[in-house]
Amino acid sequence: MFVLDIISSVLLVAGVFFGLSGAIGLFKFPDFFTRVHAASVTDSIAAILIISGLLLQTSFDLNTAKLIFIFFFLMITSPTASHALAKSARHGGLLSMAERKTSDNSNTQENQH
Amino acid sequence: MHIGKWAVLLSVFWCLLSGYFQPLLLAFGLVSVAIVLVVLKRMDDVDQAPKQVRSGHRMFRYTIWLVGQIFSSSAHVTKLVWGNPDKVSPALAKIPVKNIPAGNRVLYANSITLTPGTLSVDLEEDSVTVHALQKSSIEELEQGSMERKITGIWGENK
Repeated sequence: MFVLDIISSVLLVAGVFFGLSGAIGLFKFPDFFTRVHAASVTDSIAAILIISGLLLQTSFDLNTAKLIFIFFFLMITSPTASHALAKSARHGGLLSMAERKTSDNSNTQENQH
Repeated sequence: MHIGKWAVLLSVFWCLLSGYFQPLLLAFGLVSVAIVLVVLKRMDDVDQAPKQVRSGHRMFRYTIWLVGQIFSSSAHVTKLVWGNPDKVSPALAKIPVKNIPAGNRVLYANSITLTPGTLSVDLEEDSVTVHALQKSSIEELEQGSMERKITGIWGENK
């Protein structure tokens, strides 16, 4: 199936591109919370694209079902993991950039008074 | 009654994962399904909130819509990754979730995390704290198209 192969390789290459973007964003972004956003690109769209690319490579048998299971479990577990990370960071007292700016401002104002 | 439905669901799941139909392996499958059902029964007795098996058509409709959302917001975040990182202006906000049925709030928080650019940091009684890469994503959430989609499929909170 020539057409399916082409579609599947396009999907796989696009998935690899988004995975790479996520990895680069992980290094480029300034603080913890923004880095989680970059990682979530890899989590969501790269996973979707690569799994659908692989789906087209199967001969629509048990492996197809397994890939669909993997898709659904990834859709449940990866946001849960990101949420757990972010929540524990926040409850541990890590401030995001937006909050740090406002708290810096209030500190300097207090110093001036 | 719902234990029976779980038995069917788990058996189908096991068969799809294994793909072997020799008597020995089928017996192993039966044993593992039975163990899971015993654990399920005991846990239902503890938490008094048995989880019903429902047909997945509502979840299916929602997943298709969500994948579309993921595509559009991923493109946005990818642009930020490759562009100038100074454009990133993170924002935090509390989004009210009063209208969403209690059982679907986790789904809502997970969908927020799953769409790149927004991240649910904390889920409380009637609000979810959201961290966004840009303020515009918060405004988009406040307009509530995702909330309307969930309440449209599962109904509003009474």
